[in-house]
Amino acid sequence: MEGQLYRRLPPEDSGELRLQPQGSEEAKTFVHAFLKRSMPKMKDEAIQEMLTRKAVVLEHYPKKKTKQKRKKTKGFTAKQRRELRLFEIEPEQQRYAIFLPLHELWKQYIRDLCHGLKPDAQPHMIQGKLLKADLHGAIVTVTKSKCPSYVGITGIILQEFKHVFKIITKEDKLKVVPKLNNVFSLELDGFISYIYGSKFLLRASERSAKKFKLKGTIDL
Amino acid sequence: MLPAQLGRAPRHLLVCERSHARHPRSRHAAHVRDHAYSCRVSFLIPECGVLPEVVKSTIADIGDYYLVRSLPVHELVTHEFIDAFVKKGSCYALSYKTKIDQDNTAALLPNGKLILSVDKGTYEELGLQGRPSRYSGKKVMRYIITIDLTDAGFQPESKKHNRVLWALKEKKPLEFDFLLAWYNTGAEGSTLMSYFSKNQIQALKPKITFSTLRDLQCPVLQSNDLQGKPEESCSTEELFEWLGAVLNQVSLDNKSSSFLSTYCCPEPNTVVEKAFLCTITGFIIPEKIIQLLEQLCSYFSEPKLAYWLTLTVHGFADSPVSWRESEHGFHKGGENLYNFVIFRNLDYWLQMAVGAHDDCPP
Repeated sequence: MEGQLYRRLPPEDSGELRLQPQGSEEAKTFVHAFLKRSMPKMKDEAIQEMLTRKAVVLEHYPKKKTKQKRKKTKGFTAKQRRELRLFEIEPEQQRYAIFLPLHELWKQYIRDLCHGLKPDAQPHMIQGKLLKADLHGAIVTVTKSKCPSYVGITGIILQEFKHVFKIITKEDKLKVVPKLNNVFSLELDGFISYIYGSKFLLRASERSAKKFKLKGTIDL
Repeated sequence: MLPAQLGRAPRHLLVCERSHARHPRSRHAAHVRDHAYSCRVSFLIPECGVLPEVVKSTIADIGDYYLVRSLPVHELVTHEFIDAFVKKGSCYALSYKTKIDQDNTAALLPNGKLILSVDKGTYEELGLQGRPSRYSGKKVMRYIITIDLTDAGFQPESKKHNRVLWALKEKKPLEFDFLLAWYNTGAEGSTLMSYFSKNQIQALKPKITFSTLRDLQCPVLQSNDLQGKPEESCSTEELFEWLGAVLNQVSLDNKSSSFLSTYCCPEPNTVVEKAFLCTITGFIIPEKIIQLLEQLCSYFSEPKLAYWLTLTVHGFADSPVSWRESEHGFHKGGENLYNFVIFRNLDYWLQMAVGAHDDCPP
């Protein structure tokens, strides 16, 4: 095909068309002159380069995005946190009275969350809301436990961890109560809810996104 | 075909010991005292038509017991009750019509220990320290809580007392029908009847039945030979089995046509013209049983035809304890009983039997 295309015209055809057949050298110089004339600003070398054929690969390469290295948030490591005792409450701060406003705040929060918490509200709805609610500041009581000495502890939740609640009692004692094998009850405006701690082994933040399933036993 | 479980009998224990009733180190009274809850006492006197007056009066004086309906357990741990009854005598209390293998059960021992045998759910709610039951298997479903009411730390307003009171009063109010009995020497105080007058209390008398058995085949026993010798005397096991048959009115004539029992009296035996059988049922306290035992021993002070007599005491099948504080379970029968065989020379045999869910008797 290519050979056909670049073949010299037969003399009979060129005679008929009244064309002057050119030799290859002549053609080359003609092209040069033509290009030079049409693009006077281009340099000779640039034109020459355009004429050299290049192989074009027809596959698509997406441009690799150069990922920007995210800067690590400069915080404390778990070890440092432990050493600094960041999340521990100082003994002089362990007083029940200090945390009563927190409890009031929590009550307000739950009432807002449950649209006022009217006495005729559906317990089912409150249950669902409480499941996702934050419990810091709630007054809870341990109603059932595998270990009898936990039974009866009442107080305000100060901190919630994955496996334990830290509760301050009326006697200004800070109690660390594991969630596993304990049942907690919390009372608000006449609604009493029970929390089965064994199913609650999550951090407060994880719990808000967790879907609770009616599965397994609630037996301690 | 029988199920596999029926083919094998569950474990049972029979402990026999021999001593003399007047021996200074004889432990018969201690054994009776340690077995706190007895529901049936029966004695069999061969060659006896009429009961001596002394024994008769002892039976008549076997003592009332009380049944209090729905009594909260916290009433038993109040100091008014402890000071009035527990510390001034032997106070016996046992929850009535509670099944040891499924219900909560309570018992107050005369030494002032309150024993609660509770299921798992109640234990978790109650908040009192206990220990898992020995017979509850790998997954513990029953717990035993022991509260010493006479403990020095169990003073009014002490932490321990408040906790117990709170648990039984507010946390998980337990209520039972109680059988109560109280024995004290001397000092008369207020009685159980007046103390629990605001509760539903009724005094009950033990039920006493007499019967005379005619032409009874009795095994021949040798007081110094527990094992028995062929052709000479019967062993304790043979006697125990025979006694069970007699007390339950099982025929002893080995009829081949009988479909119920082909049991016959062990060899050698003698036919006794008449034997006197007396059965007392109720909530009978050990102090009265000891009195009765003494009276039966003195039966031989005058020459009598009988070589021996027996006194059988059955414990409550659903009591949480058998002897002392050793745990008792029901399993297949809940039997815990003892039997005295008193010989003419005041030698005695004591047989103590328990079922599968029991410690070995003392």
